[in-house]
Amino acid sequence: MAFIEIQNIAKSFRSDKGVRHVLENVNLSVEEGELVSVVGYTGSGKSTFISIVAGLLESDSGQVQFRGARSSGFPSRASIVFQSYSLLPWFSAMENVRLAVDANFPSWPRERQREQAARYLEMVGLGNAFDKRPSQLSGGMRQRVAIARAFAIEPEILFLDEPFGALDALTRANLQQELAKLCSAGGRQVTMIMITNSVQEAILLSDRIVPMTRGPKATLGPSISVPLERPRTASQLLHDEKAVHIQSRVIEFLTGFTHGAGPARNQKPPAGALPQVKNAEAEA
Amino acid sequence: MKRISNFLLPAAGILLVGLVWLLASAVISKDLPSPWKTWQESKIYILQPFEKRGEMDQGIGLLALYSLYRVAKGFLLGIAIATPLGFLLGASQTLRRMLDPVIQVLRPISPLAWLPLGLVMFRQSEPAALFTIALCSMWPTVINTTAGVRSIPQDYWNVAKVLRLSPFKTFTRVLAPAALPHIFTGYRLSLGIAWLVIVASEMLTGTPGVGGFLWQEYNSLVYAHILLCILTIGIVGFMLDRLMGAVEARLRSI
Repeated sequence: MAFIEIQNIAKSFRSDKGVRHVLENVNLSVEEGELVSVVGYTGSGKSTFISIVAGLLESDSGQVQFRGARSSGFPSRASIVFQSYSLLPWFSAMENVRLAVDANFPSWPRERQREQAARYLEMVGLGNAFDKRPSQLSGGMRQRVAIARAFAIEPEILFLDEPFGALDALTRANLQQELAKLCSAGGRQVTMIMITNSVQEAILLSDRIVPMTRGPKATLGPSISVPLERPRTASQLLHDEKAVHIQSRVIEFLTGFTHGAGPARNQKPPAGALPQVKNAEAEA
Repeated sequence: MKRISNFLLPAAGILLVGLVWLLASAVISKDLPSPWKTWQESKIYILQPFEKRGEMDQGIGLLALYSLYRVAKGFLLGIAIATPLGFLLGASQTLRRMLDPVIQVLRPISPLAWLPLGLVMFRQSEPAALFTIALCSMWPTVINTTAGVRSIPQDYWNVAKVLRLSPFKTFTRVLAPAALPHIFTGYRLSLGIAWLVIVASEMLTGTPGVGGFLWQEYNSLVYAHILLCILTIGIVGFMLDRLMGAVEARLRSI
């Protein structure tokens, strides 16, 4: 049995306008130490998916298991990085990270908690911004604080929900490299599930890419492994033959649905056919 | 230019009201003291604001302090009940649905209606006054705290969840700071009401303070002192509001 087993997840939302089936029959296994990216269009249900896996949202059916044990609620020794940073604005960068350290290592003396927080803030290049409030930091720096906070509790599992989605392209590239470094640095095995809408980002960082079909009733497509050497650079990915091939496979799968043409080989189309108008929207 | 109009325009406004007052005292009612007469009869209270000559015959500063002290007690009692209640209502929909009708019915009841009940219950004027102030002034805090807790973004609840904060830390590090600006808006409105209520409660209980003095001087036909009290009440209320407004603005800027 894999380290993380996601079985038969389904989720729909009820509102006055009717029922919206977001996810259906979602299955995924992630091995220990693996970084799996779920790639899909905006609004396809990726965030709903990660919220369920992380235990922030209840699924209608199915289950999530960590190390063979059924999980409910946010798992211990896990962290999540949100697109919206989710820092507490009334605390400084240091206090934000220390709050997480304190909650996860309550027996540590204050001084040790502070040192731990300082170490991770320095790792993401914020050595001189300990006392800055989030409002005094740029978007990129805020996300660095959030990443430091996520790693400072020395997690076994890390969820990344479009971690760089709100950042400009250059900051994004920088932070992707930082993240890759942090992952390889600790010497520990961190198992990660990343949600992203960028195929390049997925190839740059992950061991395996799983495309998500467009909703309603979104589900996960076949895994595409990324057997590229590390460290990887963004420019290398543009020319490397293997990388280009992976990229085209992912994009083919994703566009296979949205163009309304035949889906990618060996794949059944999602049960709910997509209205044409919505597809145009997604392409824009 | 801007500084001039900042000063001149309010001054012109005050002058205008003074003229209306003068006109009213000359034309409409001979019993209404003119601004000048009010000053003549009140200046001993203003120029020696902390002089104590008798039970009620005291400098206006001293009288205002008595009232402020009483308001502070009633207000603190009110928010000490209202703040936790607001948090509970904000966090629990069941409780909200249960108590909302009660609050909506209790909220518009005048202090003049509560005070006799307080006197019946406590048989003494001081606790009855505090009871009335607390009961009348607590509602804006209840309502704003409830709204503040309800408007805490899902993000912050998620942070508390994913950092695995204890319930105590979730409250002190996340919920309370997130709702604080709303809570202070409630405090500010509550304090305004508490100050409104003080006059009514002092009038009915005859305790020393600005309101008590006002009522005594009405009974002894010294009408100038009624105006003195009215102006004092207005100015003190204005200063209280400004003070709370400044605190509130500081909290919002975080």
